[in-house]
Amino acid sequence: MTNKERIEALLSGQPVDRVPLYPFILGFSAKNVGYPLATIYSDPRRSFEAQLWTQEQYGFDWGPVYGYASYGTWEFEGKIKMPENDYEQAPSHTIFPVQSEEDIDRLELPDVTADGCLPLAMEFARLQAKQGTPITLVIGGNFTIAGNICPVDKLCRWVLKKPELAHRILHLATDHIVDAARYWADTFGGERVITQIWEPLASNDIISPSQFERFVLPYMQESGEKILSMGVKHIFYHICGEQNLNLPYWTQLPMGDPGICSIGSQIEITTAIEYLGDKAIIAGNIEPHILQMGTPQQVYELCQRAIEAGKKALRGFMLMSGCETPPDTPSCNVYMMKKAIDDFGWY
Amino acid sequence: MELRQDRMTHKERLQALLNYQKPDRVPIFGMASTFYMINCGHTLTELQTDPQKAFNAMQWSCEQYNWQPLWEHLAHTVLGSWDFGAKMKMPDSPYAMTIAVETNAVQTEDDVWNLRMPDSKTAGAIPKRIEFCRLQDKAGWPVVFFSRSPFNMGADICGVQQFARWLVRKPQLCDQLIRMALEHSLNVLQYWVDTFGAEKVVYMMSSPSEANQIFSPKHVQKYALPYHREFHQRMRAMGVNKFMFHICGEQNLNLPYLAEFASSADGWSHPSILSFGHEVDLEDAAKYFPDDIIMGNVEPAIFQAGTSQQAYEHCRMCLEKGRKIRGGFILAPGCALPPKSPPYNAWMMTKAVNDFGWYE
Amino acid sequence: MPSEERTQELIKGLYDAVVDMDEEAAADLSRTILREGIDVYQAVVNGLTAAMEKVGELYTSQEYFVPELLLCSDALYAGLDILRPHIKADETETKGQIVIGVVEGDIHDIGKNLVKIMFDAAGWTVHDLGKDVKLERFAEEQQRTKADIVALSALMTTSMVAIPKVIQMVKAQDPNIAVIVGGAPLTREIARSYGADGYADNAGEAVAETTNMLNQLKKSAS
Repeated sequence: MTNKERIEALLSGQPVDRVPLYPFILGFSAKNVGYPLATIYSDPRRSFEAQLWTQEQYGFDWGPVYGYASYGTWEFEGKIKMPENDYEQAPSHTIFPVQSEEDIDRLELPDVTADGCLPLAMEFARLQAKQGTPITLVIGGNFTIAGNICPVDKLCRWVLKKPELAHRILHLATDHIVDAARYWADTFGGERVITQIWEPLASNDIISPSQFERFVLPYMQESGEKILSMGVKHIFYHICGEQNLNLPYWTQLPMGDPGICSIGSQIEITTAIEYLGDKAIIAGNIEPHILQMGTPQQVYELCQRAIEAGKKALRGFMLMSGCETPPDTPSCNVYMMKKAIDDFGWY
Repeated sequence: MELRQDRMTHKERLQALLNYQKPDRVPIFGMASTFYMINCGHTLTELQTDPQKAFNAMQWSCEQYNWQPLWEHLAHTVLGSWDFGAKMKMPDSPYAMTIAVETNAVQTEDDVWNLRMPDSKTAGAIPKRIEFCRLQDKAGWPVVFFSRSPFNMGADICGVQQFARWLVRKPQLCDQLIRMALEHSLNVLQYWVDTFGAEKVVYMMSSPSEANQIFSPKHVQKYALPYHREFHQRMRAMGVNKFMFHICGEQNLNLPYLAEFASSADGWSHPSILSFGHEVDLEDAAKYFPDDIIMGNVEPAIFQAGTSQQAYEHCRMCLEKGRKIRGGFILAPGCALPPKSPPYNAWMMTKAVNDFGWYE
Repeated sequence: MPSEERTQELIKGLYDAVVDMDEEAAADLSRTILREGIDVYQAVVNGLTAAMEKVGELYTSQEYFVPELLLCSDALYAGLDILRPHIKADETETKGQIVIGVVEGDIHDIGKNLVKIMFDAAGWTVHDLGKDVKLERFAEEQQRTKADIVALSALMTTSMVAIPKVIQMVKAQDPNIAVIVGGAPLTREIARSYGADGYADNAGEAVAETTNMLNQLKKSAS
């Protein structure tokens, strides 16, 4: 199968020839082709080509994506800075839109055609459409956007002390997600768009499962339902970090048919299959630290184990790093992911 | 993008060239021992100290890029500096590529005459290198013995600048150093032959200090070539016939002399593999050495500092010339592939051969 | 008072001694120049400096190679060490000050040494940092000496990546300081992409390129 055929078959529930390899390789692509890291986020054309070339070289499936974890700050009129030195991986906040309670009153919904990185993301999406790769809108998740609108420690305090403030921000974040998804759906057709929701701030390293139930679940249910009603067929949830205790809630989310759930190394693939395998393609879960610091042999063995577990997933499985592949990952370690698929990933 | 499926193994492809037959496609030689280490997340110090890591890195990287692993070298087996007692330091900075000399073994004229022959089994990097070669042998590969030319090694013993002065003023000092370098190299080669058998040994030689950026062709003809001649006579007498010569840098003015030597009865056996820097045109190389396999010669800095399109185009231009070479051709960088080359740029060799390097 | 004819004879002799790599003759003639009261400044400029310009041409045209260059420089310094202390104070105006070195990680210094010789001969004050120079040292030394130019050398592709970092450091302290680079893996194009103001392909070209560069910078500053 070609890459395109394989992904189309996977998403439509048809058999695939082998386990696909999903590319979470933003900064890595820049380093791989010799571009400054910042171009991945500031220059759609070069970001697209760096990722496309890198995917071609290593045999990734899917296609280039645009997005970063601190999404929301810029869009809600805060400030971010692009990665500059050897130790920075992605855009980071410099000024949060909300620093005090009063700032919440000033918050307005972003203009999805003009604010923050959205024009860049739309330019990128047009390249995806032209190339014929999946048109992916990376946005959120709801709680993570909220934690990018106001500092996450403040958000956590409000979750406990002034929950109404947290809810106000979460409402705005949710409305924004829906707005952006609608813009993408109107531009390309809902059935061609896959929304990707990254939720690192909802991990149990930050909030409890009961807080997830009150401050994350209802909002993701709302945005998920509205997104699917636009004709979007698949929602891709990146369940980032330690979220084992949240899994019972993740199963309640609208995902499309199938959804896609990517997990970090903190969640066993077998566990993810148990909770989500009947409604979602499972993707993951190669530990980024091992990718960066491990030997090629270690990466290969880790991928072998992941493939052997993931092949049993009912709706399908994609091999993927558990979170973004570190930009300094040795090239051979990334090659080992595809090698493991070639050796163990054929159906 | 799916690459075209190879119809030959690396071994078959190399053997075809050595038999003056057309392979399925142009082979690719990385010349990339330092790049392999970075490619696999290892350090350049480990290249010197950990033969197993270095071997694994070479094996995996050649597999990853589909490059020729056979006849690929690690690092110098014998060293004019280290072996003869120079004070060395390991690469200790993000900008350092290899071991470096802190203090030369020879600094004065007396030092030259007092210089002792090193132990052929324990000097310098020899113990680590033989460990690496045992891994090559275990994998069923030929074992590669890599040295500078005797002239170059002689210069390394005292440092090129001192050697250059003596070459004009007191050439007998240089002669002595070259002689010692030659004898030491052959002593260690004998150790390799005794350990692995002559038929398994590939002798790789490089001669960057013979480049015309430093020495005149007249100096090379008078002081380097006689030792090349003797070296090849004695190497062949040991039964070692597989030869690879990295004619490094700007050596256009040396080519007539090297060609005359190569075509003489004392010259290297044919075909040998001759690699050239970007300074020498591949067509000129083929003209001077019609009976040998020509290898090269993409400018290394293009891989590191150029765009991928530039790297691809340079590879294409080399292939355009190289595939017509009657004696056979291997695509390679013109010198060591820079370890910090973006992997995609290095992969352009693979892509270019896929697109332009097939013999139909 | 020596005649013009005698002056020219001795200066020509000094010139030939350098070009012919005759260290002993350069030293003898320099001592004779002092003894006979010949204009020392003229001897240095028209004898030694002019000779090294000729040597540079011979190197560029591949008639001379590195051994010859080194021996010519030995002859140059044999004369310069004798004559320089006797140049009158008002004649010692330097052409400029230059900080030069081989960047961190790189120990190949032939090229840098040859360039240093050419600048010395041409009347520049050279602050030589040597080889394998930690990156921050270039900006530090430039600040200490108030040098007009910083010259960077790298022979290896691994060390050349340090060059843009050094250029950034130098220009962060003073954007008007010009940087010239050279070394085997570099090209004019790469030098430009690194932010260098000038590039020399070999030692023979370095002084002329630097002088041009400095003049251009002065022109655009005024």
